[in-house]
Amino acid sequence: MARKTDAPPVNITINGIDLQVPKGELIVESVKRLGLEIPIFCYHPRMKPVGMCRMCLVEVGMKQPDGSVRKMPKPQAACTLPASEGLVIFTDTEQIHKDRKGVLEFLLINHPLDCPICDRGGECPLQNNTLFYGPSTSRFVEMKRHAVKAYPLSKHVTLDLERCIQCGRCVRFTEEISGDAQLAFRHRGAEMQPVTFELEEFTSKFSGNTIEICPVGALTSSHYRFRARPWDLETAPGICTMCSNGCNVWFDRRKGKLVRINGRTNEAVNEEWTCDKGKFGTDWMNNPRRASDVKVRRGDGFSRADWAEAYAEILERFREGGHEVAGLAGPMLSNEDLYLLRRMFDETFGSSNLDHRMTSVQGPAVEPPSFTIEGLEDEKGAFVFGASLSDESPIVYLRLRKAWYRQGARICVATSRPDDADAFAAVSVRYPQGGEAEFLRSLVAELRVQLEGGRSFGELADLASTLLETRGPILATESLWNLDQAGEVLAQLRLAAELLGVSLNVMALGANGQGAEELGVRPDAFDRTGLGTRQILEACADGRIRALWLAGVDPFEAFPDRSLVQRALENVEYLVVQTALETEAAAYASVVLPITAPGESDGSFTNVERRVQAFEKAVDPPAEAKPAWRVFSELMVRAEPRTPHFSAREILAEIAREVPAFQGVEWSAARDGGVLLGARRPLSRARS
Amino acid sequence: MGEYKLLLRHSHDPAYATLDGYQRLGGYEGLRKALSMDRQQVIDEVKTSGLRGRGGAGFPAWIKWNGLPKQKTKPHYLICNADEGEPGTFKDKQLMETCPFLVVEGMTIAAYATQADVGYIYIRGEFVDAARSMRRAIDEAYRAGLLGKNILGAGMDFELHIHTGAGSYECGEESALMSSLMGERGMPRLKFPHAPLPTISGLWDSPTLINNVETYACAPFILSNGGAWYASIGASTKNSRGTKIFSVSGHVRKPGNYEVEFGTPLMELLELAGGMKGGALKACVPGGSSVPILDAEACQKAIIGYEEMMEVGSMVGSGGCMFLNEHTDIVEFIWRTSMFYKDESCGKCTPCREGTRWMFLILDRIKAGQGRPEDLQLLEDVCRQIDGRSFCGLGDAAAWPVAGALKVFRHEFEHYVRHGRSLVARG
Ligand SMILES: Cc1cc2nc3c(=O)[nH]c(=O)nc-3n(C[C@H](O)[C@H](O)[C@H](O)COP(=O)(O)O)c2cc1C
Ligand code: SF4
Ligand code: SF4
Ligand code: FES
Repeated sequence: MARKTDAPPVNITINGIDLQVPKGELIVESVKRLGLEIPIFCYHPRMKPVGMCRMCLVEVGMKQPDGSVRKMPKPQAACTLPASEGLVIFTDTEQIHKDRKGVLEFLLINHPLDCPICDRGGECPLQNNTLFYGPSTSRFVEMKRHAVKAYPLSKHVTLDLERCIQCGRCVRFTEEISGDAQLAFRHRGAEMQPVTFELEEFTSKFSGNTIEICPVGALTSSHYRFRARPWDLETAPGICTMCSNGCNVWFDRRKGKLVRINGRTNEAVNEEWTCDKGKFGTDWMNNPRRASDVKVRRGDGFSRADWAEAYAEILERFREGGHEVAGLAGPMLSNEDLYLLRRMFDETFGSSNLDHRMTSVQGPAVEPPSFTIEGLEDEKGAFVFGASLSDESPIVYLRLRKAWYRQGARICVATSRPDDADAFAAVSVRYPQGGEAEFLRSLVAELRVQLEGGRSFGELADLASTLLETRGPILATESLWNLDQAGEVLAQLRLAAELLGVSLNVMALGANGQGAEELGVRPDAFDRTGLGTRQILEACADGRIRALWLAGVDPFEAFPDRSLVQRALENVEYLVVQTALETEAAAYASVVLPITAPGESDGSFTNVERRVQAFEKAVDPPAEAKPAWRVFSELMVRAEPRTPHFSAREILAEIAREVPAFQGVEWSAARDGGVLLGARRPLSRARS
Repeated sequence: MGEYKLLLRHSHDPAYATLDGYQRLGGYEGLRKALSMDRQQVIDEVKTSGLRGRGGAGFPAWIKWNGLPKQKTKPHYLICNADEGEPGTFKDKQLMETCPFLVVEGMTIAAYATQADVGYIYIRGEFVDAARSMRRAIDEAYRAGLLGKNILGAGMDFELHIHTGAGSYECGEESALMSSLMGERGMPRLKFPHAPLPTISGLWDSPTLINNVETYACAPFILSNGGAWYASIGASTKNSRGTKIFSVSGHVRKPGNYEVEFGTPLMELLELAGGMKGGALKACVPGGSSVPILDAEACQKAIIGYEEMMEVGSMVGSGGCMFLNEHTDIVEFIWRTSMFYKDESCGKCTPCREGTRWMFLILDRIKAGQGRPEDLQLLEDVCRQIDGRSFCGLGDAAAWPVAGALKVFRHEFEHYVRHGRSLVARG
């Protein structure tokens, strides 16, 4: 369970084979060293072992000084038994086979055995263990225990209590991992049930994980329920698009349609978890409002067009448009999309009016984050400023909580509103909304006082002293650019970071917001000067900019100032909307170009900790939809003869050659675990 | 051998439940003696006495007392297990109601020996009178400087609290009791070798001593009269010393608590309780509902003693001794017992959660006349699949009585499955 172990080795024997393992290692793990497997249900390597299900019983003995073995009278649970010197384990005796059969018989007597209609059927630990270790018939002739068959715990999670084997994994997940402790057992004995307290709604932000760790089909996804059998599914490795953390996921498809998203293990990023936004917030999935055709405006309406027609029209407006054209890029564009987008603006349009930031103000570039998600576990603390991590950066939130839960890290939180992290924070401080800069000024002052040996009273002093004792990274998010005094806030945070000698990490929020920063999708990259998002919108509104390209972004949704967006889109002469859905902005478009949605293309993202992670196409895009990079490449070829780009892999290889921070990034490594970007070197012009 | 009244000697004197009366009758001599010795000497005295835990398992008390760290790095806790949930057992109830100071003094001695700072008496929720009696005694002891700071001016501090349970048998199991005491669901926790012993890491991960009410109540006598004196009682047995209180119930003329010396024949206990009522002796469950049943023949041979009782196939357990007359339907008796365990299983582990319900359903069907010949084998298998496979002792406790009755009174079960009704004519 512990990540690192410096426990001394001990000698144990498993089925007659001697081996050395770290003292205290659980026997259920030790057997894996020999390629053996002990059947389990309740044990989960990421949670504390409980020994509830009794599936993992093994016979245990102790080596005596004379070399003989004294067996313990009762079999022992391997999932709770720590290795100690001289332990002798038998996993394959006749008695153990009997015991496993016994436990499975018990688990099955009240199980409905509705495998033919169960979501889990085909990927079910209960089915598998029964097949390998269980009895072939039942001796149970009594009435089975009946319970609610489809209880909606929330709009995402449906509980089938009859299938539950009371293993407690779901309950322990909410206690140990998500920390909201929303599930608990009620009643006792054979009536024991895992439910929410008083059956209220299961509102955990991480509830979907319980579906995946449930070893039977008791917890099911309300969305996926009855929609597929596991053996009908095909899958592809994906990266979640809902935030900057970059959870590794599987995109599962059935007959060419995405049907579910499951967590994919990446120890450095999400371990095996996802948040509910990522798992269920998939409104792009099979959405009826899907934009799938190329359309151009003709009078008051749109008519379908082909790509060539659209490209010709667009080029007429944008080619050599210089400061009269601009582009805004969305958070789900891949590194490959963004790289070619910027090249297109540079080389074909001659414009630096390109931005990806949708915050209220666009300030000067900030140093890139330098923390790692996994590294948070080794920190003695961290300082979360102005961010609600459970919503904005859920996987970073889980790691911080883990650092506290496992290693006792002391997390400090300063926000204007109560936050989920208060539950485990060593110090939680509230400041009034709008008072961020002032709060930080006082904090900096207090840090100075304490560094010189003084100390004031009150929570600010507690915060300062805890920060000085723990010296963990400062974590903020780009949403600080929505604050009135953003520049001052940032300056004070920098001061605090300097005084503490720690890193300041302003985390991106969008799936590839960090990628856009790295690839220079901002007007001031490469020593150029162009307009930032707000200025672009203002220039559109007053006619200085005549053509605007919205690449995978709807500013109505993303930009805080709606009325500015409206004026901009109403007044700009020519508007390209590249989108996967029929968005509000698309109604103003001169031309609509359909792009792929998540799961429909290959590509890579750069996550919040600057990890480049590649994903692969799971399903075909509908009708005309294309990855954004293909559109950019085709346009550039039309403008000026050159070799087109044929694949995301090839573009990533080019990025690795051309963008210093991406040096050495390779597709296969980016797909299998991801690659952390090197230290940021000054961005040079990619191609002159 | 007759009754040997040590703990219960003054239980009929209401004054014994007051501090004055208690001290007049020799109370607190043990503690005074203990405070004049060093801690290890106190533990050695308990070792010499041969005292074994009275809560059911008969574990040598001194080993636990000696198990707490001598070098204190954390608070030490003391727990008195007064949950007394075992059907047929009601001795702790009487001890607390009539001899509360024995418990307080016994715990204070143990606290001294183990350097405990705080003690908890976990009393079964239904025992309102016992809790009230303990409350009064504790309050009085505090007022007299026998609890709290600087006890008897000897520089020893000890706080004692009462916690009442919420009605779960499982909460008498020591680790589940600790969960309950810490405000968690009453479920057992990992035990050695899966986790440290409670004497190292128990309540709130701190060194903890847990003993039964009766175990603590023995301590004052051991200290005031000496361990050797205590060990002379019951010396005829292999390894059981002192007295044991039995709660005698069932078809006897005078049910009640009887204290006897170890080594006393079981039949003498029956005599003390006035002999059988309504018919001849058929069977006896000597140590609480969890222990295997004895037939009349075995009862004749049974000697009260931990090892002696095992020789005839049962256990001393917690001392809940039920005598059953010839008109008892053993199948029905076991059916009722198994209903109890089905209801009380905490649900944590598979064998007990599923197995106790299954056993009950089979017995229920047999009792209703729907039994099948293969059911007896099935019952035995289910017992085997629970016994030693469950997480805590409740599973074992549920399996033993059924397995025991199937062995000793198999013909009654066979009659049921063959004829659909009881062998026993109701008298
Ligand atoms: C299911 C179960 C219930 C128990 N209930 C009680 C009880 O009510 N009172 C008690 O003293 N011990 C009870 N025990 C025994 C305790 O776990 C523990 O062994 C005892 O408190 C130790 O004290 P002793 O050494 O003084 O006997 C129970 C054990 C089990 C397995
Ligand atoms: S719902 Fe699933 S995870 Fe939860 S206790 Fe039941 S079987 Fe285990
Ligand atoms: S044996 Fe298992 S289910 Fe029964 S009480 Fe103990 S832990 Fe609970
Ligand atoms: S896996 Fe070990 S008891 Fe459940």
